[in-house]
Amino acid sequence: MNLQKTTEKTGSVMVVGAGVAGIQASLDMANAGYFVHLVDNSTSVGGLMAQLDKTFPTNDCAMCVISPFLVEVGRHLNINIISNSEVESLEGQAGAFHATVRNDPRYIDIEKCTACGQCRQICPVTAINEFDCGLDLRKAIYIKYPQAVPLAYAIDRSACIGCGLCEKACLAEAISYADTPRRTVLNVGAVILSMGSSVYDPSGLDTLAYGRHPNIVTSLEFERILSASGPYKGHLMRPYDREIPEKIAWLQCVGSRDINRAGHGYCSSVCCMYAIKQTMIAKEHVSTPLDAAVFYMDMRTYGKDFDKYYTRAKDEKHVRFIRSRIHTIEPLKNGDLNIRYVLESGDVQEETFNMVVLSAGLSPPPSAIALAGRLGIDLNAYHYAQTADIRPVNTSREGIYVCGAFQGPKDIPQSVMEASAAAASATETLADVRWTQTKVRELPAEVDFSGQKPRIGVFVCNCGINIGGVADVPAIREYARSLPHVIHVEDNLFTCSQDTQEKIKQVLVEKGINRVVVASCSPRTHEPLFQETLREAGLNKYLFEMANIRDQNTWVHMASPAKATAKAKDLVRMAVAKAAYIEPLPQVMLDVTNSVLVVGGGVAGMEAALGVARQGYQAWLVERGHQLGGMARQLRSTWQGEPVAPYLSDLIDAVHRHEHIQIFMETQVVHVTGTIGNFTTTLVTQDDEGKEKSTVIPHGAAILATGGHEYAPTEYQYGAHPSVMTHLEFDVAATKQDNRLLSAKLAVFIQCVGSRSAERPYCSRVCCTHSLKSALWLKTINPDVQIFILYRDIRAYGFRESLYQKAREAGVQFIRFESENPPVVSLTPGDPSEPNSSRLSLTVTDHILQRPIILNPDLVVLASAILPNENKKLFEAFKVPANADGFLVEAHAKLRPVDFASEGLFLAGLAHYPKTIDESIAQAKAAVSRTMNIVSKTAIMVGSVIAVVNPERCAVCLTCVRTCPYGIPRIDPEKGHAVIAAVECHGCGVCASECPGKAIALKHFTDEQINAKTDALFQAA
Amino acid sequence: MIVADRKSLSEIQDMVRDCRKILLVGCKGCVTVCNVGGLKEVQVLAATLRIAAKIEGRPLIVEETVLERQCDPEYVEMLKPVVDNFDAVVSMACGVGPQFLSEAYPQQRFFPAVNTTFFGGAVAHGIWEERCAGCGTCIIHYFDGMCPVARCSKSLMNGPCGGSDHGKCEISRNINCIWDMIVRKKTEQGRLNDLLDIVPAKNWQTARDGGPRQSRREELIQNG
Repeated sequence: MNLQKTTEKTGSVMVVGAGVAGIQASLDMANAGYFVHLVDNSTSVGGLMAQLDKTFPTNDCAMCVISPFLVEVGRHLNINIISNSEVESLEGQAGAFHATVRNDPRYIDIEKCTACGQCRQICPVTAINEFDCGLDLRKAIYIKYPQAVPLAYAIDRSACIGCGLCEKACLAEAISYADTPRRTVLNVGAVILSMGSSVYDPSGLDTLAYGRHPNIVTSLEFERILSASGPYKGHLMRPYDREIPEKIAWLQCVGSRDINRAGHGYCSSVCCMYAIKQTMIAKEHVSTPLDAAVFYMDMRTYGKDFDKYYTRAKDEKHVRFIRSRIHTIEPLKNGDLNIRYVLESGDVQEETFNMVVLSAGLSPPPSAIALAGRLGIDLNAYHYAQTADIRPVNTSREGIYVCGAFQGPKDIPQSVMEASAAAASATETLADVRWTQTKVRELPAEVDFSGQKPRIGVFVCNCGINIGGVADVPAIREYARSLPHVIHVEDNLFTCSQDTQEKIKQVLVEKGINRVVVASCSPRTHEPLFQETLREAGLNKYLFEMANIRDQNTWVHMASPAKATAKAKDLVRMAVAKAAYIEPLPQVMLDVTNSVLVVGGGVAGMEAALGVARQGYQAWLVERGHQLGGMARQLRSTWQGEPVAPYLSDLIDAVHRHEHIQIFMETQVVHVTGTIGNFTTTLVTQDDEGKEKSTVIPHGAAILATGGHEYAPTEYQYGAHPSVMTHLEFDVAATKQDNRLLSAKLAVFIQCVGSRSAERPYCSRVCCTHSLKSALWLKTINPDVQIFILYRDIRAYGFRESLYQKAREAGVQFIRFESENPPVVSLTPGDPSEPNSSRLSLTVTDHILQRPIILNPDLVVLASAILPNENKKLFEAFKVPANADGFLVEAHAKLRPVDFASEGLFLAGLAHYPKTIDESIAQAKAAVSRTMNIVSKTAIMVGSVIAVVNPERCAVCLTCVRTCPYGIPRIDPEKGHAVIAAVECHGCGVCASECPGKAIALKHFTDEQINAKTDALFQAA
Repeated sequence: MIVADRKSLSEIQDMVRDCRKILLVGCKGCVTVCNVGGLKEVQVLAATLRIAAKIEGRPLIVEETVLERQCDPEYVEMLKPVVDNFDAVVSMACGVGPQFLSEAYPQQRFFPAVNTTFFGGAVAHGIWEERCAGCGTCIIHYFDGMCPVARCSKSLMNGPCGGSDHGKCEISRNINCIWDMIVRKKTEQGRLNDLLDIVPAKNWQTARDGGPRQSRREELIQNG
C-alpha cells in the first residue's frame, strides 16, 4: 500500500503493537468509521496475553477469551494487519502523518499460505521455541501457536539452513526465500502506541541463580508450564527432571521495587495477582498435595475482586503467604532449591523447595523505547511513555496516543480500558473524516431459494496432503455424490485458496446450488471465509455447513487411513443431512439514534459527555444533584501532583459550552425502554419550586457514571474530635491552609478504614497513594512534622511506588498492623471549660518491636473507604447488575471492562470500582469509544443465529428468563408469552435447551437440523 | 403451582414392562412450569425409554403428546382419536392427570410418571419449596405471611417448639424453622405481642381430615 503523501486530514489511523490493547483500539476505531493499520513487529498479533495460561481473578483461559478478538481483528475489512514490521519514522502532523514502515520478510506469502503445516513436518532444523519461553523446540519454519492471526507460517532465517525442502513440500507455492525488506508509507491521521511490555530478565540478579538452574523459572515460563498448549501439555513438572513438584516458592518483586540491583523503582502492578493465580492453578494441576509459598513485601491486590481472590487463596487453598524478600536461592544437587528467610519475629528460617518461580516484573520492550525515540515522544525515568493524569492517553506529541503497558505496568482490563480511551482520543479530531477511508464490501443481492428443494454442492478438500495423504479423498467425494439432494461434488487441492474460491462461486451460480457443504479443516479458522464466498455468489451465509475431516479426523487418525476415510464419510453424511434442513437467516436493518445518554455529572460523566460531543454526536448529561463535579470537587491534586480544581473548572465550562451537550440538573432517570441503538428514557427534573417535569430522551447508547462517595467512619473517634478527618476533608483543609494541618507536630494516617473488612471485603485502591501524597505535602509545608502511616499493605502500584519511596526518604515512618489488632484512638479529656481541648491518644502494636506504641497525634487522617453511590432504582430501570459491594458489574472482567452484558449500555468511574482520577478519565473516554461503535452508524444489523419463541407453546414458566446468561428474555404481560429481543439475543442457545415446553428454537441449530445430523450419524454408511 | 418430581426410570419401566406400544402425555400446566412434565420432559423420557428397551432387546414404540391441561375433560377428550392405539398411557401430569384420563377412557390403562409432591413455588431456578398445605382455611395473615401449617414440621399453631435450633428445624439442617422466622419478623416489625394470644386448635374439617373435598360454585354451575 504505497500511498501518496498528503497534507490533508485523513480518516486512517495507525496502531503500533498488536497485543490485547492494540487489538482493542483497532477494533474500536475500525467499528467507528476509521481505517486502521495495525503494525506489529512479530509474525502474529496477540502479544503477551496469548502466552498466558489463565487470567485473574476469574481464572478464565487467556487464549479462550482473546481468540475471538484475534479472529475479529484478522477478518476485519477495515483493519490492515501489518505483521513483521517496524515503524521507522513519522513525519507530518496530527491529522496528516506519514509513517514509514519497514516490512521485514517472512519468506512466506501470507495470501498463499494455508497453514496446512506440511512445511513444518518436513523442516529438518529445530530452533528454540520463544513462544514457550525456550522450554520447548520448534522448527525453523513455524507458526507461533495454532490460533495465530494471521494464520500463516514464517521462516526463522537465523535458524534456517536454506535446504529448500519446504519449498518443494509446499503445494500452495507460498515460500519465497528471495523476500527482502520493503518500505511502506502510510497516511494516517493519528497514531496509537500500544507496544506493551516485556518481562524482566532476572539473569542479572546473580544471587537468584536464574539461568544457572533449570528449576528456577520466571513467571512467564511458569505460565507456559501450566498451559495445556505449553511445553509439558499442561502437566505440572519441573524442568530439571520432569518430576511433579511438591513444594513451590514464588518470589515477588523480582525486577520490581528494586532500585538497588534491577534499576526498577516502580511496582509492576500485576505480579501479586498473577502469583496468587499461579498458586491456585498449580494446585489444581496436580492430584498430590502441593505446598505453595509466596514470599512478598506487600500484597498488592488492589483491583476489583482481587482481595477476595487473595483471601480465597489463603483460607481455602491454603497458600502460604510469607512477608519476606528473598535475597539468595541456593541450588542443591538433587535439583531442589534452598531458601533462607526472616520471619517477622526476626528468626531466620531455612526451607527447601522443589521449584522456584520468580515473579518477574514488567519493563518496556527495547524496540518500543527505540521507536519512542524516533517518534520524539517524552518518556519517564523508566522509559515508559510520559502522560499527565488529566490526559492519561496523550503523549507529548500531538496526534500520538498511548495505551496499555507501555504507558505504565498494568493488568489486562486497565490496558483494554486505555485502549478504548486512546481510540476515542485519537479520533476526536478526525470526526469530520469518519467513514472516508473505510471500505464497504459490495455484495450481490441474496437469491431467494424459498420453495426450492435443497440442491447441495459438496466440496472435499485435500488440504495439500493433510487430508488427501491420509484419507481417500476421491472415495469421499464419490460417496458424497450418492447422498440425498447432492447435485454437485468436487475435490480441491486447497478449498480455501483464492483461485478455488473463485471457481466455487462460478459453480454455485452455474448449477443453481442452494446449500453448500465443505469437508475440510475446521470451522474455527475457515467457516467465515467460506461463508464470505457463498455470500459473494448471492447465497445467504447460513446456507453453509462444514465437515471437519482434518483437525478432528486425518490429523488424529494418521495411522489408520481406512478408518479415517470411513469417519470422513460419516462426517460428510452428517453435514449433508443437516444441510438439507438449513435455512437462510437474513438480517434486518434497524435505524440507530445517534445520541448518548450519560448519567452522572462527576468527572467520569462529564468526560464521557464531552467525549461524545467532540465526536460530533449529541450527549444528554443527567445529574441528580445541583452541581457538577462529583467527588473531584473535594480533591486537591492527582497522584502526580496536578491540581484538580483548574482542570475541573475547565471541564465544567467545556461541558456547559458545548453545543452538542444538553445538561439536566436535579434530574433522575425514572424509566428506560428499548434496546441497543434505540433506547427511550424518561427523565424527571425537579424545578426550583419543587415541581416535577418529565422529559423523554431517545438515545442509541447510555453511559452510567453514577460515582461513589467516601465512607463516613464510625471508628477512630471520627466525629468526636476535629483533628480526626478523612482524606477528602484533609484535601479541603489543605486547600484552605487549615491550621489543624499547618500546626500539627505529629500526624498519623490510618489505612484501610472501612476497607478490607468483613463488611466491605475490597480494597479501595486509592487510599495508600492518597496518604503518601498527603504525607509528602505535610512534610513540604512543615519539614519538622513527624508522620506515621499505619498500614496493612502499602498498595502504591505502578509508578505510585515513587511516592512510597519519597515518603520513606522524607522520614515518614510506617507501622504495619494486623486487621485483628487495629490501632486504638482515644480521647484524653482537656480543659472542660474549653471546647475541643481534649487530646488524641493512639495505640498501635509495632510489627517489628511486637509491642504497643503510644502516640499523641495532633492530627489523625483516616484513609476512608470508597463506596458506590446508592442507585437501586436507576440500576433497575436500566436492568444492570451490581455486585454484593454495590459496584456495577461489567460484561467481562478482562476484555469488556466498560461494557455491560446488555448491549448498548456502558459504565465508567467510581460506580465500577474505586479508582484514581486518571483511571476514571480513561474509563470515561473508553466508554465514549464503545458508544461510537453504535452511534456512529446509521443502522445496525439484527438477527441470524438467535433464539425465537413459539408463543403457542410458551407456558410462561420463566425458565428462559432465569437461565439466560445475558438476562435477555422477558415475559410480556400483554402478549402472554416470553419475548426474546432479536437485537439483544447472543444466540448461545441456553434457553432453547432449557425450555420445558420446547417453545424456543435456536435458529441454525433447530431440533430438526440437529436430529437430521444425529440420525445420519447412526445410519449405516 | 403443583410441584412434582419425575419417578425413577426403573419404576416407570416396570409399570410398562408388558407393553409394546405406549403413549406419553405431558401437561402444559404446572408440571411444565416446574420442569417435570412439559414437552421437553416428555421427549426426554420417551427417548430414554426407547434406548432402555433397545438395550434390553425389547420392542417398544413410544409416542409423545402434550395436552393443554390434563385436569379439564375438554382437553382430555383430545386424546380420543389415538388413545386406543396403545397398550398403555403414561401421564406426566400431577396426580390429577392420570385420574381424569382414567375416568374419560375406562378401557385404557394409565400410569403416573411423576410423584406429585406439594403446592409451592420456585425460590430459585431448580429449587421448589412447599408453601401451602391446602388446609381449606387460610390463616397466614396471623403469621405475617408465613404458613405454619405447611411449613412447620408439626404444623404447630403456637410455636416454636423445643426442636428449633438456630433458625433450623430439628428434622433437617436444610429446613428453616418457620416459627423462628415468624418470631423474627414479628420482632422486627414490633408486633411480637401478637404471639401472646394463644391460637386455638385448628378446625381440620376443611382440610383432608374432613374427607375428600368438593368445591361448588353455584353461580357457575350450568343447569340443564
